[in-house]
Amino acid sequence: MQSNLVSFIQVLRTHDVRVSPAETLDAMTVATTLGYADRQLLRDGLAMTLAKTPEEEAVFLACFDRYFYQRLSDFSGQDAREDAGTQSPPEVEEHPGEPGRSDNDAAELSPLAAAGSQSPSIQALLDSPLMQSLVNNDRNELTMAIGRAAEQVNLRQIQLFTQKGQFTRKILDAMGEEQLRAAVIELERQQSPALIELQRYRDILREQVRDVVEREYLLHAEGKTKQFMDDVLSKTRLNNIEYIYLHKVHELVRKMAKKLASRHSRKRRQLKRGQLNMAKTMRKGIPNDGVMFNTYWRQIRKEKPQILAVCDVSGSVAAYAKFLLLFLYSLQDVLPKVRSFAFSSHLGEVSNYFDDYPVEKAIELVNWKYGGATDYGNSLQDFAKLALDDINSNTTVIVLGDARNNNGDPRLDIMQSVYQRARQVIWLNPESRRVWGSGDSEMLRYQSACHFSAECNNLKQLERIVDQLLKSTK
Amino acid sequence: MQLDDFPQLGSVKEIEQGFESFGYICSPKIATAVFLAFQLRKPILVEGPPGVGKTELAKTTAQLLDLPLIRLQCYEGLDEAKALYEWKYGKQLLYTQVLKEKLGDLLKGAKGLAESVERLHQFGDIFYSEDFLEPRPLLKAMQQERGAILLIDEIDKSDYEFESLLLEILSDYQVSIPEIGTIKARTSPMVFLTSNNTRDISDALKRRCLHLYIPFPTVELEERIVRSRVPNVDAQLRHQLVEFVHSLRQLDLKKSPAISETIDWARSLLLLHADQLDEELVRSTLNVLLKFEDDIEAADGELRSILRENQAT
Repeated sequence: MQSNLVSFIQVLRTHDVRVSPAETLDAMTVATTLGYADRQLLRDGLAMTLAKTPEEEAVFLACFDRYFYQRLSDFSGQDAREDAGTQSPPEVEEHPGEPGRSDNDAAELSPLAAAGSQSPSIQALLDSPLMQSLVNNDRNELTMAIGRAAEQVNLRQIQLFTQKGQFTRKILDAMGEEQLRAAVIELERQQSPALIELQRYRDILREQVRDVVEREYLLHAEGKTKQFMDDVLSKTRLNNIEYIYLHKVHELVRKMAKKLASRHSRKRRQLKRGQLNMAKTMRKGIPNDGVMFNTYWRQIRKEKPQILAVCDVSGSVAAYAKFLLLFLYSLQDVLPKVRSFAFSSHLGEVSNYFDDYPVEKAIELVNWKYGGATDYGNSLQDFAKLALDDINSNTTVIVLGDARNNNGDPRLDIMQSVYQRARQVIWLNPESRRVWGSGDSEMLRYQSACHFSAECNNLKQLERIVDQLLKSTK
Repeated sequence: MQLDDFPQLGSVKEIEQGFESFGYICSPKIATAVFLAFQLRKPILVEGPPGVGKTELAKTTAQLLDLPLIRLQCYEGLDEAKALYEWKYGKQLLYTQVLKEKLGDLLKGAKGLAESVERLHQFGDIFYSEDFLEPRPLLKAMQQERGAILLIDEIDKSDYEFESLLLEILSDYQVSIPEIGTIKARTSPMVFLTSNNTRDISDALKRRCLHLYIPFPTVELEERIVRSRVPNVDAQLRHQLVEFVHSLRQLDLKKSPAISETIDWARSLLLLHADQLDEELVRSTLNVLLKFEDDIEAADGELRSILRENQAT
């Protein structure tokens, strides 16, 4: 019972619900306090200790139903029969001629039994517990046998859907299906009338095992596959990510942003207090005979830092711009105000799209409005007109682009004046460092007007850069 | 808190009925949470949209158990001096002034500095004892003889630092005061924390609590709530108005009307002697339900279709 609860918690963990050992203990206490009789009550109670957000609760409920659907038998004997009953394949009932327990004596007349009396190997098969439970339609025994075999082959280790077949096979082997298979072959050779019957038993068994494996896969592997997927996605080049995975990447970006936000939010507060204001402290101490009970501190008056994000949204870089912006805007709690600009042939400010629409929608709008052939010179000129006056020693400018200017004038002079005014200019280039400066790439020249330049083509790199950015904008 | 002292909390069913007798209609889930919180001595973190009765839950529990309700409203900048304890500086200062004159008597006959200091030491740290401690809500809740209901309201409005301060109190029901030591609760209080989800609560805090999410109620439950709060409203009107509020919640509003608004609306309709919802009536009282001009405008356009739809069903 307890180990069942623990393995249920394991399942929750693979589904991204974080459960600590202390919470596991709590869950046990809850289960003992509430008892196992009322399923609804138990579910509510466990949900309260194990799930911490509404989203987690939804996951919890799904897992709970899936898990205890089959495992209820361990909690109380009565339900087990009903449950096992609902699990068995319907075709067993469809054949009324099939021997139930009561028909055991009559079974001697069936072709299978007849075949058994002729051949010792088939008789041995018929006497095996596996065959007994199949013939007698004993679903409880069968379910338990499958459970035991599953335990034996470590079905819980299942990770990928490609392993389903393999595990089904292993379980069948562990249950001694080989014997059954051999018997089928033998009967086939003899063209015995018992063949059909035996084949049917074999199919029932296989189907049952497949069901169990399927359920177990959904429980254990789905979560693991997801973790694996996240890991892969964060390391793939962003423009190689298939369209269908985009929403997953959004989720991932949000998760990363949350992590960064919690890492940096605390530090920002500590900086608020400045030096001791001695004069005020003394003055306020006069009523207390000059004892300085309360201290007064100068406040640090900080110019608000500002971030300007300039993104190339032409075809080659659009995917990256999207994720950078997604990142920056997911971090609004901890980042200073972000102004964003988008360009390809000309440049415009797009900050208000983000104020008016949810981030994904805004990004779509930006792409639609400013996408096109790239002209860095022209765009920089627009940028200077729009924002150069606002750039001061508290401004961080992030440029995201491949610096491929189609052989136009790069207008390095503008970039340099930005460089001189700003506190920090960061250039992110989705291309690999090796190809910077090749062909029409002006990257090497632009690099001279940047404090920091980096390649960024997957989420991991992007995360690292944003982390650095957060550190430096304090 | 012992079970013997509070037979009201004997089972989930009893809690549900107990709450109902005080006019708080709750789902079994809420009752389960209270039951577990009491049995396991764990705080409950109540989340949900504003106005679904999070604060009310704590108040009703206090009524049910006949215990004092001690409330701590959180806000940005709340610190331990306001939440936990503070030294009575004024009193300390006054006493030092008064006792200054006694100092001569005390040290009479003492030879040399060492002996004087030795004598002073014998008096201990009287100025930092419980007599000079000003208890704030958290400490006060732990000093109650019979236990108390501690309501920490809108924890999401406080700073991250404050959450860490709460951890010791919530897991062990004790407070460490550097000058005195650890003060344990006489009877561990029952703690409710509420949050409107304006920011994420830290995992450490969540881990120590039972997590209860109260969503907007079902039509049936809300009707029961309205009946218990505004008993004079006629059954048909009650059904109509609850249905209407539920339809409003389907719209994209800045702030969906909550239970408290439904109750207010029911009261206003009662005052207006309405026995039937019609478009004119709804339009003129819509400002009871919706608190933003934009929302009112958005709902105004849908009024007729909502009313017609509800009539049809």
